[in-house]
Parts: sequence; structure tokens; C-alpha cells
Amino acid sequence: MSKISIIGLNNQKSSIIKDIMDSGVVEINSQDLKLSDPEWVPYVKKDGNEDEVVNYDAKISKINDVLITLEGYDKSKKPLFNTRKSISSIKFDEIINNIKNIENNVAKVVELSKTYNDLCSEQNRIETSILSLKPWVNYELPLELHETKYTSIFIGVVPTVSEIEKLKNDLEQETDKCLINILSSDKEQYYVTVICLTNEKDAVYEILKQFGFNNVEFKDLTGTAAENIALYEKRLKEISEKKEIVEKNISEYVPYKEEIQIYYDYLTIEKDKNKILSNMLKTDATFYTEGWIPDVSKKQLVQILKNYNCWFEINEPEDGEQYPILLNNNSFSQPFEAITELYSLPSSTNIDPTNIMALFYLLFFGLMLADVGYGLIMSAACFIVLKKFDIEGSLKKMMKMFFYCGLSTIFWGIMFGSYFGDALTTIARVMFNTDFVIKPLWINPIIEPMTLLIFSLVFGLIHLFVGMGIKAYMLIRDGHPLDALYDIGFWYGFIIGISLWLFGNTIIAGSNAVGKWMTIIFAIGLILTQGRAKDGLISKLLSGVLSLYGITSYLSDVLSYSRLLALGLATGVISSVISVLGSLGGTGIFASILLVVVLLIGHTFNIAINSLGTFVHAARLQYVEFFGKFYEGGGDPFNPFMRKTKYIKITK
Amino acid sequence: MEQLFSTGSFLAILGAAIAALAGCGSAIGIGYAGSAAAGVMAEDPKKFGSTLILQALPGTQGIYGLLIAFIILNKIGFLGGNLVDLTAAQGGWFFAGALPIGIVGIVSAIHQGKVCASGIMLISKKPEQIAKAMVYGAMVETYAVLALLISFLIINGIAL
Repeated sequence: MSKISIIGLNNQKSSIIKDIMDSGVVEINSQDLKLSDPEWVPYVKKDGNEDEVVNYDAKISKINDVLITLEGYDKSKKPLFNTRKSISSIKFDEIINNIKNIENNVAKVVELSKTYNDLCSEQNRIETSILSLKPWVNYELPLELHETKYTSIFIGVVPTVSEIEKLKNDLEQETDKCLINILSSDKEQYYVTVICLTNEKDAVYEILKQFGFNNVEFKDLTGTAAENIALYEKRLKEISEKKEIVEKNISEYVPYKEEIQIYYDYLTIEKDKNKILSNMLKTDATFYTEGWIPDVSKKQLVQILKNYNCWFEINEPEDGEQYPILLNNNSFSQPFEAITELYSLPSSTNIDPTNIMALFYLLFFGLMLADVGYGLIMSAACFIVLKKFDIEGSLKKMMKMFFYCGLSTIFWGIMFGSYFGDALTTIARVMFNTDFVIKPLWINPIIEPMTLLIFSLVFGLIHLFVGMGIKAYMLIRDGHPLDALYDIGFWYGFIIGISLWLFGNTIIAGSNAVGKWMTIIFAIGLILTQGRAKDGLISKLLSGVLSLYGITSYLSDVLSYSRLLALGLATGVISSVISVLGSLGGTGIFASILLVVVLLIGHTFNIAINSLGTFVHAARLQYVEFFGKFYEGGGDPFNPFMRKTKYIKITK
Repeated sequence: MEQLFSTGSFLAILGAAIAALAGCGSAIGIGYAGSAAAGVMAEDPKKFGSTLILQALPGTQGIYGLLIAFIILNKIGFLGGNLVDLTAAQGGWFFAGALPIGIVGIVSAIHQGKVCASGIMLISKKPEQIAKAMVYGAMVETYAVLALLISFLIINGIAL
């Protein structure tokens, strides 16, 4: 990563910005610090075009809404993965030249969706009105009628907690010239109308009030409830017809979706061009900008800048200066960058562990899943996705990675003789009544777990030693070779010594004596060196002795690799559980059908749950045990100034 | 009753049952994680996939328990229908072998569930941190894996 500074003329600014953006190889830094630097302050001010950015943002969010609306009307089948469409820059310019058309379409869709929303809210309003009129549907007088020449009419509700019979009685006792009519009732209230003589109106109302009577007003409504409901329903029908028409109109714009998406991306590009200005400084006639560029892209940028009358300078980062991180690996280990990125990018003083980690990740993943069938399914699925969809970014990396992991799974499946567990053997027995066994190339871990356990721990020890080796390499690189010797070399010796002392005789007779002396020598070495940062002889020695306790952390690290065996067993044993369950039917045609069903369901479940477990635990062994030995994350990802489009990829 | 507990095959089957109890822990753990996940979904339905992955993590202990239970039942011939005649001591060994995963499974699944529930909260704010949330969960599971290993080695080592 190098640092580049550019000074250019203001009249060439926009075209330089465009070219830098098209190349997409420079991360442009904020220059806010220089604005408070007394050396810079007299000459420069901050560039920027905030108003334009806000403008673009508003447009973009409007178009986003339009796209969401159109998405809802798009009946075509959605692909499994969203991919960006490739489009030539000539075609892109052609479409953008037609900007008026697209803007018209956008405006029409906006208008149509507004009409549609208005119709929807009117529909809601009418539906509530109908609901409130429903209880009065049997009331045959016009709703606005409250008085005739001699009578008064009350329309209202009485809560159901009141005794309606008593109300009737009371009214009867008061006068015999009063008609109470209970139209309907629901959980909360009775819907009643009362007709009485106008001169008795007050007395009747008094009684009604005692029972909690409440007048109901029908604002602006004339005619009976039934008539009004009929009118409303007619209106509803009209609305739904109109809605259909509007919907049809909107769906006519679905074919323009692609154009609108391109417009969206165009706006995003323009917005970014304006936004980046705020990371630049300007004088009356010139501008200044600074950024990071990966070493591989230097030539490309120099080519571009030579076309302009501008001054530029490319420097190495200063000592200790943090720069953004762009991982650069060969095509095999590149997919495994996804695992590194999930943890954290290396800080700029660390090294990229992906290359070495990729090998171990593959090994561990394969060991834990270890089944030819599962591996085949995994690799085939990833292969098809990669071939069929033009996916990008970390999804693509993941897919490639799982493709490789599938191959490793197949390899270890052959070593352990596991083809969908023992499904083939079971099928042969249940369906064809024959014995058919595929011998493992190496061992069957269910029968010889101890062998695999030892190998798991050995793999683990190698993994840890490699991690410590990287630490030693970094110490030597940074000019601390003695630290590397004391902190890594002595531990190597000590751990190898103890291992030989304890287990050496089972492999090479007599090697435990060597191990014993190695242990003692390196233990003394550790005691003498591990306290070197402390003051005073006593505390130096004391911390040295205490450091030997660190062996427990190595022990737990190594034991952690026993999960390689345990998870491998889990896959294998669940497979055999599935086989046993499937073959409970004995032999024959029905037993065969049962077996097929059980195998299908069982193995689907097993591959899902175990590949998740395997992914997590293979990653954990890298993150906790391996990275713990040397890795230091916290790097910022390289974020170049480029066309960050969502829907299209512009090609030359 | 006393006679029952000195019957080898009863002890072995009891062991299988205890191993399968690890599922209790998984159920509780998945329950914790699931209710956290549902809460996150209310805010952002797009996180279904990532929350589901975290919710599934405490499920493995139940599977480990099932696995040990199955190995026991298979080894004593309970599934094939011809039960091996076990001595009380042999039955006791099977019982002992089931204890690690039965007990550790329950405890670790419950706690893994809590860690995963917090992890789900974490990815509701910072979705890119899912790997770390998963690793925190996997740290707890380590002890279930170790228990599974010991259970397996004990049961595998019993000579019939």
C-alpha cells in the first residue's frame, strides 16, 4: 500500500475525479486534519458540494421507493441470488442520455402510487363507515330525521350493562305514547331508537339518560342507513375497479424497471463524485487530494494522471502509520479470505495469515464432516451456483471456499469409508439382500477412535507450532531475534521434550530419555528468560518459574483439537442411526420405501446441522487456537473510491 | 427395586436415557436464543438466516446425547432385538459412560443458549460480527465436545 498525493487544476478536477473513480484503485482520505494545521491553513480551504449531495440523496430515495413499488408488480421469477448485470459503458451512456424519458417514467409511477394510496385510504375510511352503519341497517326512517310535527325521535346507544327491560318498563310507566325499538346489539351496547310526543320529549330523555343513553349523530348523512350502505358499497366497487386500473397502469411500467435501476446507479455514481469533494482541499485555481493505492495498481494510476497537467507523488507509508488493508492472495487461498475477514483484517504491522490458514481450514473441515456423499453435494451445489450466477464479493468467496471444503470432505470420506455413512451397505441389505461394504482407505474412526484421536492432537500440535512459527518470523522481521528464540524456540523444545518423555517410547524406543533431558534443559531456559522484562534477580526468576505454568494453556489448546474426532464421530454415528432407523422395516418393497424416505429426511437433516457445526468449529480452531498465537486484527478494509453500483456492472 | 438396579441391562438402558437428557439443555438453550431471535426479527426480518444459525448452535448437545444413547442401545443389542446378557458391573460402566454427556450436555447447552441469545442481540446491531458471535457460542460448546469424547471412549472401551 502506498500513499499518493495529487495537486491538479480546478478546471480538470471533474474529469480527473471521473477517471480515478473509473479505475477504482484509490482510497481517498479525509483531509480534515490539514484544515487545522497552521502550515496549510493560510493556503487551502475545504472543498465540497453538500447541497448537490443532499439533492442526489433525495432523488435516490424517491427512485428507491419507485423500484420497491415496481418490484411488487414484477411477476417474473426472482433469481436465487441478486447479481449485478453487466452493461457496456456505451450502452450506459446511451441510456443516461435518455434521462428525460426515465425521469418521466419515474414521475408517473410516483403519481400512480400516490393515487393508489389515496384510493386505499378512501377504501379504509368507507369500510369503517359501513361498519358503523351496520347496526342501524333495519332502521327504516331517514337518519337525519329528528322531529316530525308532533313527535321527537331519539337515535342512540345504551350500554349492555343497563337492564333494557327495566328501561322499557320505566318508559311505559311514564307514558303510553312512546315507541322504543331495539334494532340490534353487540357486546358493548344496544342500538335503539325511541319515538315519543314532542311535548313529552324531556321526560323521556330524562329516563333514557338514567340508563346511560347516548345520542348518535350521523354527520351529513341523509336517507336511511340501508340506503347509505348501498351507496357506500357502490363507491367501494368503483374504488376497487379504479384500483385495478391503477395497478394495471403501474404494472405497465415494470418493463422500465431495468432502466430505472440504471438511473438509480447513475445517480449513486454522481452523488459519490460530489461527496468525495468534501475529502479534498482547494485553492482558487487548484485542488489537493491524498489517498492510498495498492502497489499493484500504481502503474495504472500513473498512466491516468499523466494525461493531465497535474503534480503527483507516491510515497511509502511512514513507519508505524496505519494504512488500509487489501488482502492479496493466490487464486487457491483467496476464497479463504472470507474466514479472515469474518474475524478481522490484519493490522498493518501484522501479516496476512490466509495462505497458511487455508490449508488447515480445509484439512479440519474435511476431517470433521468426512463423508463422500456430503462432500459431493456440497461441492456440486457450490459449483452450480458459481457457474449459473454471476455472484460477487464475499458470497462468491464463500461459495468457492465451500467448493474446496467439499473436495476435502470427499477425500476424508474415502479415507474413513463413509458414503452417506453406511447408507450403501444398508440399501444393499434391505433392497437387494446382499452384503456390500466399502472398506475405508485408512481407518474407520468409529471402530478405531483412539488412532484418530492421536492424529487429531498431532494435527493440532502442528497447527499450533505453525502459528508460533509465524510469531517467531514476525519477531525476527521486526529485529528481535532473541525474543523469537526465548519465547518461541524454547517453548518448541519444551513441548517436544515433554511429548517425547511421556509418549516417545511407544514410537521410538529410548527416545523418552532424550525427551527427559530436552524438557529439563528447555525448562531451565524458560525459567532464565521468561522473566527478563522484570527488575531484580528474584522477581526475574520467579516470573520465569511461573511461566512454566503456561504449559497448561498449550495442553488445553492441543486438547481442543479432540473436537476433530468428536465432530467426525457425530457425523458418522448420526448417519448410522439414520441407517438403523431406516432398516427397521426388515426387507421387501415396503421396507425399501421406508428406507428411502428415512434416508432422504435423515441425511438432509444431518448435512445441514453438521456442516453448520463443522463450519463453526473449523473457524474456531483458526480464530482461538491458531490466531491466538500470533494474530492481531483491527485493520481497516481498503475502501477505494469507485462506482458503487447496486444493479449494474459497467464494462468497457 | 433393588434387584432392578443390579440388573446390567437396566443400568445400561438407564444410561442411554440419561445421555438423551442432554436434549433438555438444548431445548432450553434454543428456547433462549429463539426468543431473542424473534425479537430481532420484529425489527429487521432480513436477519432470519443469520439469527437462525446462532439459534441452531445449542442444538448440538441434544444430538451428542442422542448419539451416545444410540451407541449404548446399539452396543447392548437393544435395537436389534437380541439383548446381550450384561453383568451388573458392565451395566454400571455403561451408566457411568453416559453421565458426562448427560450432565455436561445440559449445562453447556443452557449456557450456550444464553451466549447465543446475546450474540443475536449483537448481530441485530452489527450484522457483520456474526463470526465472533458464533465463536463465543463455540467456546461454550467445547466442554460438551469434551464430554462427548469421554462418554464415547468409555462406552467404546467396554468389553462385552
